[in-house]
Amino acid sequence: MTQPPSDADIKAGLASAGYICNDRIALTLFLARALEKPVLVEGPPGVGKTELARASAQYFGRDLIRLQCYEGLDEAKALYEWKYGKQLLYTQVLKDKLGELLRGTDNLAEAMERLYQVDDLFYSRRFLEPRPLLQALTAEQGTVLLIDEIDKADQEFESFLLEMLADYQVSIPELGTLQATTRPLVLLTSNNTRELSDALKRRCLHLFIPFPDAELERRILASRVPGIREQLRRQLVAFVQEVRTLDLKKQPAISETIDWARTLVLLHAEALAPELVTDTLNVLLKHEEDIRTVQDQLRQLFSRLFKG
Amino acid sequence: MDQQLVAFINALRKNGVTVATSETLDAARAVDLVGYGDRRRLKSALGLTLAKSESELARFEQCFDAFFQFNDLSDIKPHAAKPDHQPAPRQRAEGPADERAEGPADAAPTEAGPTQATSRLGQMLLTGDRQALANAMAQAASAAGVSDIKVITQKGLYGRRMLLAMGLEALEQEMWQAEADSDPARQQRGRALRESLAQLRQEVKQYVERQYLLHARGDSRALREAVMRETPLANLHEFKDVQGLVRKLAKRLETTHSRRRRVRQRGKLDVRSTLRHNIPHDGVLLETHWKSQRVDRPRVMAICDVSGSVSQYARFLLMFLYSLTEVIPKVRAFAFSSDLGEVTHWFEQEPLERALELTLHHLGGGATDYGRSLTTFCEHCLEQVDHRTSVIILGDARNNHGAPRTDLLQKIHGRARRVIWLNPEPRRRWGSGDSEMLRYQAHCSWAEPCQSLKQLERFISNLLRYSQ
Repeated sequence: MTQPPSDADIKAGLASAGYICNDRIALTLFLARALEKPVLVEGPPGVGKTELARASAQYFGRDLIRLQCYEGLDEAKALYEWKYGKQLLYTQVLKDKLGELLRGTDNLAEAMERLYQVDDLFYSRRFLEPRPLLQALTAEQGTVLLIDEIDKADQEFESFLLEMLADYQVSIPELGTLQATTRPLVLLTSNNTRELSDALKRRCLHLFIPFPDAELERRILASRVPGIREQLRRQLVAFVQEVRTLDLKKQPAISETIDWARTLVLLHAEALAPELVTDTLNVLLKHEEDIRTVQDQLRQLFSRLFKG
Repeated sequence: MDQQLVAFINALRKNGVTVATSETLDAARAVDLVGYGDRRRLKSALGLTLAKSESELARFEQCFDAFFQFNDLSDIKPHAAKPDHQPAPRQRAEGPADERAEGPADAAPTEAGPTQATSRLGQMLLTGDRQALANAMAQAASAAGVSDIKVITQKGLYGRRMLLAMGLEALEQEMWQAEADSDPARQQRGRALRESLAQLRQEVKQYVERQYLLHARGDSRALREAVMRETPLANLHEFKDVQGLVRKLAKRLETTHSRRRRVRQRGKLDVRSTLRHNIPHDGVLLETHWKSQRVDRPRVMAICDVSGSVSQYARFLLMFLYSLTEVIPKVRAFAFSSDLGEVTHWFEQEPLERALELTLHHLGGGATDYGRSLTTFCEHCLEQVDHRTSVIILGDARNNHGAPRTDLLQKIHGRARRVIWLNPEPRRRWGSGDSEMLRYQAHCSWAEPCQSLKQLERFISNLLRYSQ
């Protein structure tokens, strides 16, 4: 067996998968693999929580299975469901066979007894429709399981996850307990719309991803928007970092920075100019109020950033 | 398991980070993987396993810095004549429980040269071996039981105990002897020792102080908060950090109640959902699903008496209500003494303290007139009170023998979902003297005394729980 990758390896590996991260994130993945613990990733929207799962799946060479949470998500949609239609169809098609099987029985009790011997067939793995959680547990080569926006799901669902997160197993009444063949790497993300239960937090490593610092953001941009010029990249990151210090309804995240950079590259911009910013600000900011706030302070921002 | 880690987790718990046993085990396994060698990696690894929210992370980092920050003791200059004794700069993150501390003691020379110290502590000081000093300090700290420190006045005691455990007596003996000696080299050594010792005292003092902050501050804060919650609201302004506590209590209420509940409506079948859930039963309707309704967030109209005697109570009620904007989004606030005015706009635009100040300045101070205030309220706002509104009235109901106008309260009660009266006086004083409380109480959904933060918190929790 080969040596498990160290956190430096993971950092480099993620970078090759297009995800530039800091030491803390790399260490998290290292510990998650070594301790076989799920990771709860929190942070403002758009800092790359979901992207982290995608990149680590690519790096570890595993399939990514994604479970998007929403209000009303339940076991049937997350874990498994019986293929009722198929069960019905089979009983219809096999009517003759069943008749044959039951032929020669004298009374009801005997017929029941015979039927009883085959009824497990209809509740076997064949008729089980695996949903994301079950898929992640049964995959042979292991997977990266992303449980996205767990805070959107109901509290009951959160409790339901506990068994799976602690022991990597699930209980299906008809079949018994299923153990994971290869333990999946589980990432849960939360946007903090509500407090998660302590029981859930206790079972996870907790990673908080804040907005990146200027250095990191520049590197992310260089990796994600290859065509961008050095000067524009520096200016753009400085501008975004400065905008984040303003009092805004929704701070621009990395995904917005990347979108903005792509827009500017499309427009063949060489450097930031106030007019250019005014025209394209709606890519960076998603609220009319915020756009107005920034526009009002555009001159000061520019003079502070680029002249001083 | 690692003593050091357990001590650190104890310190964390005292500083308000909840750490479960399973998390301790995780942290120990993480430390096994990461080691004590690299301070930053250690910090990240412990942070990942122990701190489970953003605020806990902040507290964790503070704690970590205080706990694992070992003095680099850089102030203590090496006085050694031999330059090759200069220690290499080391990692500060070295675990304090290192065995290396024993090193210099075994090699105590019997015959010392004029510049070499004989006592172990003296050697460490004069050679400036910071690592050994730091280790010795850590050992002395555990020998003296510094982590048991409870109150600030014990600082001197524990500092002294630590110095003694480090071998202060032997050092002082040597220092005095050296200073009394006629040999100028030895005299110089004595002076150097005295100088180093003064610095060491300083270091020890700082160390004990840090330990105090780490271990005792949490305890005393918890005690203080418990006292604050029981203190009558009128005296509470003497505590400086009360607003912080209110915010903390409000935050707790917010997390408890931020989930929107649904109530089942018995008797109303949700046909679509029932059909869908019964497909597995071949369309036979075995499971029934009932229609449900979301529990509404309460709409609150708070009417507060801000005359002299009661204004402190109003202050805390409003503070609470406006700290809970997440779960009570629509609060309209009214204040009155002799007449009533709406103050919502101040609370929405100004910071809390300023809004309270404005309210008291403009509306406080007059003689209380409940009748007139209720009349004004009914004239302007009765229309806006509907079956979703909770009206909270805070006041002592002491009307200076004016007309109480209970008919108006009855009208409000008729329109509102409920009318709740909070009275800062204890129940047995209701109805005594000019208090109209008993007559008003008849037209309220419920009335309760509200004297301490504890009662206020309980009231608001009930308000949120039953708001449907």
